[in-house]
Amino acid sequence: MKKFNLSNFKEWFISHDLFGLLGSDRYKSLKRRIVILEVALSILPLLIVVTISYFWFQQILKDDYRNQLKWDIENTGQSIETFLNERLSFLRFLTLSYKYDELSDYKKLSNVFYAFKREFPGIVDIGIIDDNGIQIAYAGPYKLTGVDYSNQNWFNEVVIRSSNISDVYMGYRKIPHFSIAVKKDLPEKEGFWIIRATIDMETLKKYVYALNIGEKDDSFIINKDGILQTDTRFHGKALNKYIETPIPSNEQTLVKECDIKVHGHQICGYSPIKNTDWFLITVIRSTPYARIPGIFRNELFFIIIFSILLNTFITTVIAQAIVNKIKQTDMEREEAIASCEHAGKMASIGRLASGVAHEINNPLAIINEKAGLMKDILESSDDLQKNKYKFLSLLNGIFDSITRARTITHRLLGFSRRMDLSHDLFDLNEAIKEVVSFIDKEIQFRNINLVLNLSPELPRIETDKGQLQQVILNIINNAIDAVEEDGRIEVITEMRDNNKIRIIISDNGIGIPKDKIKHIFEPFYTTKEKGKGTGLGLSISYGIIQKLGGNISVESEVGKGTTFSIDMPLKYEAI
Amino acid sequence: MAEELNANVLLVDDEEQFLKVFSQRLEGRGLKVDTSTSGEEAINKVKGKEFDAIVLDLAMPGMSGIETLKKIKAENPDLQIIMLTGHGSIDKGVEAIKAGAIDFMEKPADLNKIMEKIAEAKHKRFVIVEKKHEEHIKEIIQSKAW
Repeated sequence: MKKFNLSNFKEWFISHDLFGLLGSDRYKSLKRRIVILEVALSILPLLIVVTISYFWFQQILKDDYRNQLKWDIENTGQSIETFLNERLSFLRFLTLSYKYDELSDYKKLSNVFYAFKREFPGIVDIGIIDDNGIQIAYAGPYKLTGVDYSNQNWFNEVVIRSSNISDVYMGYRKIPHFSIAVKKDLPEKEGFWIIRATIDMETLKKYVYALNIGEKDDSFIINKDGILQTDTRFHGKALNKYIETPIPSNEQTLVKECDIKVHGHQICGYSPIKNTDWFLITVIRSTPYARIPGIFRNELFFIIIFSILLNTFITTVIAQAIVNKIKQTDMEREEAIASCEHAGKMASIGRLASGVAHEINNPLAIINEKAGLMKDILESSDDLQKNKYKFLSLLNGIFDSITRARTITHRLLGFSRRMDLSHDLFDLNEAIKEVVSFIDKEIQFRNINLVLNLSPELPRIETDKGQLQQVILNIINNAIDAVEEDGRIEVITEMRDNNKIRIIISDNGIGIPKDKIKHIFEPFYTTKEKGKGTGLGLSISYGIIQKLGGNISVESEVGKGTTFSIDMPLKYEAI
Repeated sequence: MAEELNANVLLVDDEEQFLKVFSQRLEGRGLKVDTSTSGEEAINKVKGKEFDAIVLDLAMPGMSGIETLKKIKAENPDLQIIMLTGHGSIDKGVEAIKAGAIDFMEKPADLNKIMEKIAEAKHKRFVIVEKKHEEHIKEIIQSKAW
């Protein structure tokens, strides 16, 4: 049962005896390799392109976002600037429209204040200050009439510059606010007066927060000393020192990457607000530009997966077609080789048959003539006694011829070729002698000197005797063709490495040129005249030796001769 | 064996036993038989003696049957040669006939058939010789003014 399975297994994997080096699943492996290579080759550039375009796209989005941010922050800065300028203009308008005396009047000031507040939201209060810094009139929610501002920074500023927008401060009211003030010189007199309005920080905050930013982002105003002017989300309350990024010195809107230890990588935008010491700052941590590539990435992912699947499918179909074609070609080739091998067998059988016919017909001819002579004698004379010794001698001659013919037929049986490998245990030297005896006649005819140099200490070898003999016969036949008359052929056997026997068959014939020697084991390669050789002998020999687990090699020099070496394992083992 | 065939025959074969017995049998039928065991010997014998027929083996060591045939034919085209061989192959036979053999027989051959062939050969040779004589006579008649 086990043996049966084993032979089945072998049949399955060794599709052809001569070329049975790889199993039939070599086609599957070939297909797999084609698909993998093809898919890899097509997917790799796709991945490279996609990766490059992904980062490129991301960079574009990032640049775009930065431009957008720059534009936004610039706009917001301008809005704040307009907001402040409007209020400053109105104060200036008041100084031109009303006299100092009129506005010093509380009632008048209150009227103006309410009108002002209605038109311009964010005004907390309004006050008139004389040139000593004393607030002489005030309209607003607090009682601040008579307060002395002469020591405050904004007062000194407004005296020098005639108008001022102050930094945010707590002041008397304990809430962050800032003031705008305009100076007006008194006509024809020394001295001046100041009209001042304070503005709630909340109003400014609305502008700052109007920047369209995400939850993780922040935007705020700082002054030139780095003091926060508005409350921030992540950077502290107003009037604290903002320390995280240095303030740029130039007067232009700027958006750049800024690495901050606490928050890591982010984008910072700076925009100076004109006529003030303020900067609008935006810190973006939410990377909104990364969101769109996220969508893009998913789509790409599906495109790639789809491409791979489609590619794999198409490639598999194509590879299947290719492999089928290869398989078919291989099969056709194997069939062709098998049929040629058969033709080769038939050719050598033919050659053998004609040799054998000669060998058998000669003794038959002798028998024929001896029997005929006996008949002749019987016909001409009845005296058996007289011819007894002659008859006996003729009969002995007949028996000799019969023995001769029998030897030949037995040898022929020994040569009958089996398709399956047989395991014979035999003496290799004897087998070689058998082969030689078979071609003895031809060697004699051509006066070839055949030398047998067989090692007497060879162990018995286990392999297919008939097939090995066929190979040896084939090589000796080639040697016979290669040598001139009176040539020399030598057959040597020797032990190699304790487990191999080497058979060397050398001749001193014409030799094989170097450019031809590499082809001699190929099927159909022949240098013999057309019709004389099939070009199959050596290829079949090669196949047989491979199949028997041995090795055959050749060395040759033109004009000096050729040497074939066959290494055979002592014991044949199935490959 | 109706009539006695009186012919000179040369047998050429490398098998001495065969030669011996075969020549005995032919001699028993009244033929004059000469033998040789190789092509070279045969060529020499042909030079010294007239034969009505030569029975030549195809496969011999040394000079082969075909070679011997060609050499004999080259020297003496009138000689009638019957090829005898153990090889049963057609192409050898064709080659032999092309080279000038009158017939081709396979071993083992029937003695009577060989006898017939020898008789045929002798007859052919006789005709050729007659013709030659005739031509010779014609030549003499034409060359002489009577």
